Amino acid sequence: MKRDIRIEKIFHHRKEKIWKLIADSNMLAEWLMPNDLKPVVGHKFNFKTKPAPGFDGIVHCEVLEVIEFHKLVFSWKGGPIKKPTIVSWILEDIPGGTKLTFSHTGFEGFSPVAISYLLGRGWKKNITSLFDKKLNEMM
Amino acid sequence: MKKKNVDIFGAIADPNRRKILMLLSAGALTISALANEFDVSRPAISKHIKVLQENKLVVINDVGRERYCELEPEGFKEIYDWIMFYESFWNEKINELEKMLNKKTKGSSKRKSQKNRHRR
Repeated sequence: MKRDIRIEKIFHHRKEKIWKLIADSNMLAEWLMPNDLKPVVGHKFNFKTKPAPGFDGIVHCEVLEVIEFHKLVFSWKGGPIKKPTIVSWILEDIPGGTKLTFSHTGFEGFSPVAISYLLGRGWKKNITSLFDKKLNEMM
Repeated sequence: MKKKNVDIFGAIADPNRRKILMLLSAGALTISALANEFDVSRPAISKHIKVLQENKLVVINDVGRERYCELEPEGFKEIYDWIMFYESFWNEKINELEKMLNKKTKGSSKRKSQKNRHRR
């Protein structure tokens, strides 16, 4: 079983405009983090943020897929995440706006263990209901 | 307490250690019973267990002459917290994105001139 983060959202804006906020380095910096992204497959770039314990504040990324105005995928590695995870943005036209499907996947390195543990044994503390809720949202 | 040699993500990156955790997810097992499930030597398994123990993924209880390994919630919580962290991080950020989109529609030129004014 995999544990992924998925977020879907409807925007009442054209996808070209949303694309600019996601794929333009300066625009992206305004709402996410300072970066040197270029929407070019194979381009390696970083996000830089404040360091925290166990995290030097640098996220290492590489552009994996670009379909202009439609899809941007890059790898994401930083802090305790030793294996690259995958961040993906998909924009689709819908009547009156755009649907964004965001995902951050590939936490395989640790999630299956944690999940089998959680499902098999349950939390000893009162986190169970929270976990059930989250799990249902994921499925 | 001395510094850990392997951090929690390193601890679970190893396939043997992951297998130990999987085996223990069904219930407590003695070190010997665990070692029997592997082709590698018992000292090697003991070493893996020690790494898991250091990261609070496994706890060892002595029952009579046997040493029982059991999963410990604390370490798992740390792992789970990271996924939770990213989940709330992205939710927040995507809300920021939405705010920016709405702002840009209302008056992007105004925003830009304000920004320039602050520049020294």
